[in-house]
Amino acid sequence: MLSLSAKNLMGKAYKQEYTYKHPWERVSSASWRKFADPENKRTLSHILEVDTLNHKLDPDSGKLYTTRAITIHAPGPWFIRKIVGQDICHCVESTVVDGQSRSMQLTTRNISLQKFIEVQEKIRYDPHPDNPDRWTICRQETSIQIKPLSALASMAEKVEQRCAEKFVQNSAKGREVMERICKYLEAESSGISL
Amino acid sequence: MGILRKDKKSADSSSTSSTSPCANLRTAYHNCFNRWYSEKFVKGQWDKEECVSEWRKYKACLSEHLEDKHLTRFLDAEESVDYSGISR
Repeated sequence: MLSLSAKNLMGKAYKQEYTYKHPWERVSSASWRKFADPENKRTLSHILEVDTLNHKLDPDSGKLYTTRAITIHAPGPWFIRKIVGQDICHCVESTVVDGQSRSMQLTTRNISLQKFIEVQEKIRYDPHPDNPDRWTICRQETSIQIKPLSALASMAEKVEQRCAEKFVQNSAKGREVMERICKYLEAESSGISL
Repeated sequence: MGILRKDKKSADSSSTSSTSPCANLRTAYHNCFNRWYSEKFVKGQWDKEECVSEWRKYKACLSEHLEDKHLTRFLDAEESVDYSGISR
């Protein structure tokens, strides 16, 4: 259950929607484990490290704020590498979980290579309106923009396109991993060990 | 050749491995957090934060090894930064 739409404004913006047939509690738990599970390291091999930099719990409202650093290996074609000079990119992901209304929002953006490119990804997990206690809807929005005055500007269109393709590929891998962890958590909660 | 070059590259890039000395503390904290999140937080038991000592040890290690100055900024901030409302 995936829908994808793209529009070409300045840069590229992508929207995706996906339904997990698992309750929000399980899906949001899986989201935290997505990068950490050693078993998934192979599927998400572009993720090198994930560190939690900061977190805050508001015990009155049931809101949890977390900031994580995500180090990504993003090798482009040789001519890009030559200009950019590195193929490691640091991103900062900030997450707000509202335990009361059952929503999880993640915003990730790159903090290195900013003079060349800006990528922002927003993901939201909410209970699915058709089946709020058993299904979860995931909405994902990605925007990619080459900085107009950067050395990459002349090939912006091409680079953005390539970047966007990579994102779509990687989010498919991300969903695969999420589904796997959800299954695992489901088995765990019913007392079956895998 | 290709493999060798790749290995060298990742060894050269200090930012990749800068926090690896904290790997064990990181795993300990993340395991504790994940358990707390799925067993307590999502069930409405958010009155008390757990994993405090795991967090303290892990964070101390990060302060020592995190080299990227863009990242250390977030570590120094007392409160987590909420970007969800910011559009750039």
